[in-house]
Amino acid sequence: MIATTQQSDSSQPIVRMRGITKRFGGVVALDDVDLDARAGEVLAIVGDNGAGKSTLIKILTGVYQPTEGTIELDGSTFSMSSHSDAIAAGVDAVYQNLAIADHLTPAENLFLGSELTRSIFGVKVLDNKRMRKEATATLKDRLGVQLKSMDVLTESLSGGQRQAVAIARAVHHDNLRVLVMDEPTAALGPQETARTLQLIKSLRDQGLAVIVISHSLDDVFEISDRIHVQRRGRCVGVVQTAHTDNEEVLSMIVGTKTIAGEH
Amino acid sequence: MATVKQDPQVSRSMGQRLEPYISFIGPMAMIIAILLFMAAVEPARYFRASNLNQILLDAALYMPMAMAMTFVITQRGIDLSIGSVAALSGVCMAFLIKQYGFSAPVAALIALALGALMGLINGLVITRLKVPDLIGTLAMDLVYRGIGLVIAKGLVLARFPDLITEIGRGQSLVYLPTPVVVGLSSMVMGYWVLTRTHFGRYTIAIGSNPEASDMTGIDVDRHRVYAYVFMGTMAALAGIMLTGKLNAIQATSAPYFNLHVIAAVVVGGTSLFGGRASIVGSLAGVLLLSMMINALVTLRIEFFWQSVASGAVIIFSVALYTWLQKKDRDGGSGLSGLISNPRLLKTYRLAAIILAVLILLLIIGWLFAGETRPSG
Repeated sequence: MIATTQQSDSSQPIVRMRGITKRFGGVVALDDVDLDARAGEVLAIVGDNGAGKSTLIKILTGVYQPTEGTIELDGSTFSMSSHSDAIAAGVDAVYQNLAIADHLTPAENLFLGSELTRSIFGVKVLDNKRMRKEATATLKDRLGVQLKSMDVLTESLSGGQRQAVAIARAVHHDNLRVLVMDEPTAALGPQETARTLQLIKSLRDQGLAVIVISHSLDDVFEISDRIHVQRRGRCVGVVQTAHTDNEEVLSMIVGTKTIAGEH
Repeated sequence: MATVKQDPQVSRSMGQRLEPYISFIGPMAMIIAILLFMAAVEPARYFRASNLNQILLDAALYMPMAMAMTFVITQRGIDLSIGSVAALSGVCMAFLIKQYGFSAPVAALIALALGALMGLINGLVITRLKVPDLIGTLAMDLVYRGIGLVIAKGLVLARFPDLITEIGRGQSLVYLPTPVVVGLSSMVMGYWVLTRTHFGRYTIAIGSNPEASDMTGIDVDRHRVYAYVFMGTMAALAGIMLTGKLNAIQATSAPYFNLHVIAAVVVGGTSLFGGRASIVGSLAGVLLLSMMINALVTLRIEFFWQSVASGAVIIFSVALYTWLQKKDRDGGSGLSGLISNPRLLKTYRLAAIILAVLILLLIIGWLFAGETRPSG
């Protein structure tokens, strides 16, 4: 457990990525990167464009396969060959471009790919009523979000509401333990940003390991417990948010400072 | 813009509020317009029971295809081969019955299976060979039409067993003609499939956001193939209905199926950009086109104007939907803003030049015109 020696070992990491290297042809996108994520903790990943943030989480969520390195979930090595594998293992992501079908209702989006069915004379049909009810409950109980109507198409919702639907889809899986969020506040206004940050904190308090990629250091300092700084494909340090400041993280991002003994 | 209990009505334009109903209101408004017009001009002949029956009978042929095409278009696809699929299925069925003595029900089921097979080929061409749907189905249209001609040569196969004519023009079921019952049943089935099955749900999801659907674990290619198989089967059903209706079939039958069906679906509010499906709209679209064509016939307008009118209706309705769905419409502009946009000046100039050249050439031609030579 590099760079987190300050933290007591009371919580073992759920995710333990070790020596992750990813090459696209001749380009090294990630070079020997380690990452730990713990339950009830928000880990922020920051770094300039092209630092390897997105590649790192795409490997964690099964979208890419690492060229080298291992991923451990709860202490056992896990290899994911697709995003569905990651979801089955309890790792899901809410992407920047929100993987939502605009022409479906919130409930239909929430259950997309895992629809509830009932049987009529042996024929399986979608149970729209039950999905609508459960979606309403998930949004309300876990995210504290209550939409004016569940029967509108998702395209008519605001950016924050759409994001809530995307998050609800991830947290609806009972076995979800790690939630990755890629630029959750990039497309939101100030008020919705505040709401989303609040939401992330409440998900953390519900015991999830939350990994947030963000360009906004203000947001990062408000919500994160630890900050993982990427630079040119390498991890240049993991710092406790409480023991650092904006300036230090910024200098790590641009490369004027590295934490000694990280790698 | 708080996430909780925000009132979505506030920020919604009229177009957005009407949107769920537009697909129904649009064709309905046009149907009512036709009804009012015909009530004023030619009520006696248009509103005869036999004529209304005829309208339904004409529309019935297109209902199964419009229903299936709604799925294909909602998935951001298109199928330009349905006319040939219908003709080839019909021809094969006819040959099995006339030449090989197959019983009518078996031959009809074989026709449906052949339609499904042709749809499967379309789907595989598009998803496996990665040929864009427009080109893929257009090319397969040539293939199926060609095979039909190879099998049937120039023959017209006629006189079929009762089952086939019953499906095509029978009247034995209650008050409605049998094909109308078949057509309406297919529409009801389509609505059920769209709203109650995985296939229907994924159809909308794929058309709305293919990448997101893929990430959710939906097998996008497989469900696209399903839509084309569905389409092929319904086209074959239309082929059987057509054979029964005319009590004859030939390889060159059904030349206008493609555009007529696509027109009905698009007029009904299903978006060509995917994700927005309306089965009810497709039904209204089919009825609208049939009523319009029937009105032209009733008014004794030359047959060839039908295609002009169909085209005009398509342009008008698609332009209307696009205008209604445009999100960043400026408040006051409207139609006048559309026409007096300064950026259009060069386009107007081009139009003026083309018209001027055309008029000039006509004048030259007229001034130097010689004897007329009849082409025959």
